[in-house]
Amino acid sequence: MTLEIKALTAGYNREMSILEDVDLTARHGLVTVILGPNGAGKSTLLKTIYGYLQPRRGEIRHDGQSIVGLQPKDMLRQGIAYLLQGRSTFPAMTVQENLELGLWSLRSDRQRRANALDEVYRRFPRLQERRSAPAGLLSGGEQRMLEIARLTMTRPKTLLLDEPSVGLMPRLVDAVYDEIRRLKQEKFTILIVDQNIRKSIEIADYVYVLRLGRNSHHGPQSEFAARLSDIVKEWL
Amino acid sequence: MDLSILADPGILVELLLQALVRGSMYALMGAGLSLIFGIIGIVNFAHGELYMIGAYLMYLVSVALGLPFVVGLGAAAAGLFLVGVLIERGLIEPLRQRAGREWLLDSFVLTIGLMVILQNLALVTMGSERQGLASMLPGSLSWGDVSISYDRVIILGASLLVVAGLWAFIRFTDTGKAISATAQDPEAAQTLGIDVRRIHTLAFGLGAALAGLAGALLLPILPAYPTVGMQPVLKSFAVVILGGLGNIAGAVAGGVLLGIVEAFAEFFLSAGWQSVLTPLLIVLVLLVRPSGLFSAAGGRP
Repeated sequence: MTLEIKALTAGYNREMSILEDVDLTARHGLVTVILGPNGAGKSTLLKTIYGYLQPRRGEIRHDGQSIVGLQPKDMLRQGIAYLLQGRSTFPAMTVQENLELGLWSLRSDRQRRANALDEVYRRFPRLQERRSAPAGLLSGGEQRMLEIARLTMTRPKTLLLDEPSVGLMPRLVDAVYDEIRRLKQEKFTILIVDQNIRKSIEIADYVYVLRLGRNSHHGPQSEFAARLSDIVKEWL
Repeated sequence: MDLSILADPGILVELLLQALVRGSMYALMGAGLSLIFGIIGIVNFAHGELYMIGAYLMYLVSVALGLPFVVGLGAAAAGLFLVGVLIERGLIEPLRQRAGREWLLDSFVLTIGLMVILQNLALVTMGSERQGLASMLPGSLSWGDVSISYDRVIILGASLLVVAGLWAFIRFTDTGKAISATAQDPEAAQTLGIDVRRIHTLAFGLGAALAGLAGALLLPILPAYPTVGMQPVLKSFAVVILGGLGNIAGAVAGGVLLGIVEAFAEFFLSAGWQSVLTPLLIVLVLLVRPSGLFSAAGGRP
């Protein structure tokens, strides 16, 4: 599933646009990384794709179909899942309840729900061990794993990841990128917004740089890795 | 103050019953207010008027139409659920859409305005005189020296049943878990496909139904008149502060606690003192534990 964005303009109020004429394509089965200094509009771009923010102009197409005007609650059914920046587990609920809520959109299909839960526990045995613990008592790394596990339970095609490794210690950061690599092998279309430039370039196929809400550079990973230091210098 | 009087089981039981009957009203009101605040983030100043409509519905169904009291209770709960759904869909949600992020003050104005409109609507349609119900079910349950009127048994039993039902609904059903996920993190709930707008409507409907049921249950004790909701709503704000805003179990515990404090204060310190003690208790709680007596220490309410 390819995600295509054309001439996207969006903002939180009428007077000011955060994004201006942004073009971006996240190709099927590849990792596309969006880099840029603070305030470049990276997170706003993901929020606009997911329907938290309605664009003022422009197109967003997933698998050729326009998804502009849809609400966040409709996106999983379109095959798009979203990892929010920061914590997004429900701390007062158990690990299992958090995972079951990840299957909310399949709640009428008991069999599929049970299978998806079995599968996620096979893949993340640590979550099975802690299934009856409140999510708020998990370590930071375990919570991130829970979020990533919950993200793919309904078998979406495209994943939007906002700062997947932020706030984690280095060893756990590696674990998160290993997990993203695994998702890439499984042919998910992945769009990542990241401050961790080095790590995200390593797994990227294609890179976009945003500055002040506009496209600044883009290119395949190989071409980009060489120019990296020049581009970062420009931000400073 | 002579505490030896409590050795008389008749008096002690009478006092406790008074306390629990009041407490169950406060618990129903407080739980609804807390549910609405926890999910939608607004303080419903018109909550007392939902109580008032419930009381009038009970009056119309069981007195004017002469139907069994159970039908009146059902009509009040179902009717107020519908009223709540209409208020949320027709007034609150449109305001939320338009006002954007800083809509707290706007929502105050909206619910206070609604309070005034509903009171005056009641005045025009129902008149200002008190309209009550002698009794839901005459007679009483006797056990030695102690007797409990059937009305009190019904009030306590129904409140307990409804509060336990609400708790089980939120704790164990899929929809209930979606409600509690929305309360904890609405943005994350949406990424899982939960329709937060529907959850808002459901929460307001349920909160309104609890208020309506409280008004109906209490009709034999507190007859209906246009501003009958003022006292219950002030008390339920107290209850919600005691329990922690958004904390439903805390609101129930706070309701029972306030009922006990008031009943005993009235008995030992003469009527009127309860109106001093309640605000005093609130000030103390706000000083010592601003997020409520029953909240996790330091946690967000």
